[in-house]
Amino acid sequence: MSSLMSNVLKVLLIEDDTIEVMKLNRVIKSLNLKHQIVEANNGEDALDILKKKEVLPDIILLDLNMPKINGIEFLGILKSDETLRYIPTIILTTSNNQKDLLECYKIGVAGYVLKPLKYEDYVKKIEKIFAYWSINELIKA
Amino acid sequence: MSQDQLDILKRALEREKAARKAAEKILEEKSRELFLTSQKLELLLEEKSSQLQGIFENIVDAYVVMDLEGKVLKLNEAATKLFGYDISKESLNVQNLIYKDDYDYAMNSFHQLKTNGFFKDYEARVYTKSKEVKWVHINASVVFDKKKRPIAAQGIVRDITDQKASEEKLIESENRLAALILNLDSGIVLEDENRNIVLTNKKFCNLFNINAQPDDLIGIDCTSASEQNKMLFKDPEAFIERMKAIDKDKQLVIGDELEMLDGKILERNYMPITIGEKSKGFLWTFTDVTLKRTYRKSLETQKQKYYGIIANMHLGLVEVNNDDEILMINQSFSEMSGYTQDEVLGKKAGLLFPIEGGSDIISEENKKRQQGQSNSYELKVKTKQGHIRYWLISGAPNYDLNGEVVGSIGIHLDITDLKTLEYQKEKLLLELEKSNNELQEYAHIVSHDLKSPLRSIDALINWIKEDNKGKLDDVSLQNFNHIERTLEKMELLISDILDYSSIGAMNDEKTNVDIAVLVDDLIKILYVPEHVSISVSNKLPSLKGDKVKLQQLFQNLISNAIKFIDKPEGIITIDVTSKSDCYEFSISDNGIGIEKQFYDKIFKIFHALNKSKDSTGIGLSIVKKIVNQHEGNIWLESELGKGTTFYFTLKK
Repeated sequence: MSSLMSNVLKVLLIEDDTIEVMKLNRVIKSLNLKHQIVEANNGEDALDILKKKEVLPDIILLDLNMPKINGIEFLGILKSDETLRYIPTIILTTSNNQKDLLECYKIGVAGYVLKPLKYEDYVKKIEKIFAYWSINELIKA
Repeated sequence: MSQDQLDILKRALEREKAARKAAEKILEEKSRELFLTSQKLELLLEEKSSQLQGIFENIVDAYVVMDLEGKVLKLNEAATKLFGYDISKESLNVQNLIYKDDYDYAMNSFHQLKTNGFFKDYEARVYTKSKEVKWVHINASVVFDKKKRPIAAQGIVRDITDQKASEEKLIESENRLAALILNLDSGIVLEDENRNIVLTNKKFCNLFNINAQPDDLIGIDCTSASEQNKMLFKDPEAFIERMKAIDKDKQLVIGDELEMLDGKILERNYMPITIGEKSKGFLWTFTDVTLKRTYRKSLETQKQKYYGIIANMHLGLVEVNNDDEILMINQSFSEMSGYTQDEVLGKKAGLLFPIEGGSDIISEENKKRQQGQSNSYELKVKTKQGHIRYWLISGAPNYDLNGEVVGSIGIHLDITDLKTLEYQKEKLLLELEKSNNELQEYAHIVSHDLKSPLRSIDALINWIKEDNKGKLDDVSLQNFNHIERTLEKMELLISDILDYSSIGAMNDEKTNVDIAVLVDDLIKILYVPEHVSISVSNKLPSLKGDKVKLQQLFQNLISNAIKFIDKPEGIITIDVTSKSDCYEFSISDNGIGIEKQFYDKIFKIFHALNKSKDSTGIGLSIVKKIVNQHEGNIWLESELGKGTTFYFTLKK
């Protein structure tokens, strides 16, 4: 693999809000990116997907406010798993709660990104996240 | 001459001769007789003289013979022993024996001797040879010769040194006794059988207001004297009656009390004095016991007072001895504990009442009492009826007259109601804290949930605009913009409400915050239009506080100032003055100003004066809340059209 080429990422998006899922997909599409998005509506679904361990995602985008298992609980489960703990997880959330921020970094996250109100700001942030992670060397399963 | 005549003469001569012969014979006989008698007498005299000599030399007392110039002629054995001189070896004059202070007395006595021929009972001191001083008693007389001429003097000398010493001691102790009686703090009267005064003292005169010396009263009849003295007493007749009765009985009486008109109280004792079988008189003593009585009386009053307090106070009182055994409880304690005094007397207080380890507390406290410490402590107890109560006990050591700890006294207050309230308060506080935290969480979740739809709407509008590029008219595009502005305002509102509600949770530790650095950083971060300048007049201080909140405080006030500047050149000035216990900050602008009637209103939540896209009316409420949390105040001065200055204090 050429180091000049950017990676095509396999992304696990854990998000319960349909519009948010649509937003991410639309950004990928409109920016003409090749990244593969796997969607999970909640933490439980995500764990089901991850437990199969057939193909693990390169990065995880995780919303914090979710029903059933919330983001932080999910993060805890992920980090206690021998294999899954190495997957870079980026929090994508509305919560600017300092407590949440500290807790996430304490458990271990690769990033904490606030969802902006304006869609155009959102597009810029997502573009940067993908740009950053696509130039990273990743552990391929 | 005739023969006859001659014969006659011859015969006469013959007769005369014969008579003379007879007379001579008688004379001879008589003189022989006389000679024999004188011989006898001489013998007798000699005998008597030697007899006397023997007596003088052998008498126990010293015997001295001297000539009229004082030269000692003879000393008997006792005298030699007494004076220490041996006159067979040395000569001695009596003048050498005289004690210097007694010289005049000696000379007088000597003169008396010469004049009268004797002196008696001479008592004076003499020096012995070894310069020892001795008291002597001398009787002396002059010795005359046959022609009644004085030729010498003789004296009997007795050593009375020991006798003199004991006499002196006796006098001394008599004097002491007399002085003692005279100055005794009790009035004393010793009377004889006929009730005449034999002895009295000053104190008696004082007590009975008698203006005389004690000696002057000797011989006075007490019966009539007391008729005058009775007026000094509150009940004169009773005084007399009692006195008569005592006198009649002639028995010991102790502790009669007499009240005098001037308020004095006298204690009277009566005592017959008998030595052997013989009556020596009757002794009356009078002692002023006024002080003692009033002292006792006030002591009694005090005691009653405190007894009253103890009995009636609404505090339980318990007295225990050093073994923690109950000696006394008051009525209140009886009510508090449910036990009667009889039920708890002798029981160990530390075992009877406390529960849940309280007995250990009591034994600890009792140790402190032994060391003389007082303090108070709380105890959970069970009453006789089994009710659980809380007592606040204030304990203090109890001392005896010698200052030894004999136990302790505890004052008990039932604080069960207070305790219940305290527990309720603690519980409420815990609940409040919990619900505050929940509320905080809730606020975050709600704000998230409220903001999410806004984001979605914004995204959707963008997509509609993108998907319909060129197909929408200007009015529709304008309306979409309005929707987007409204969304922004809505989001700001939600953020501010979240901020405001978050301030209540003061969980963060206060740290040292350098306001100068904080403001400097803020000015860099904030959007400041080009026509606005911000200056700091004084060096801003460091103070203890919550950095995040202080930042928000300054940010809100500076943003406000920027927001309301309507002049072509905006000037914002930040200043500080140091007060005794706080810093007073000011942030002034040359903006639109605020009308006085709104000074208070602007700090209330949702009271924005100017409706604008970026004003929610929460900013100043947050500011006030932060200032209050830092124990400060906030106020403002403003002139409409000219500008506003916000002042606030922060604790040092």
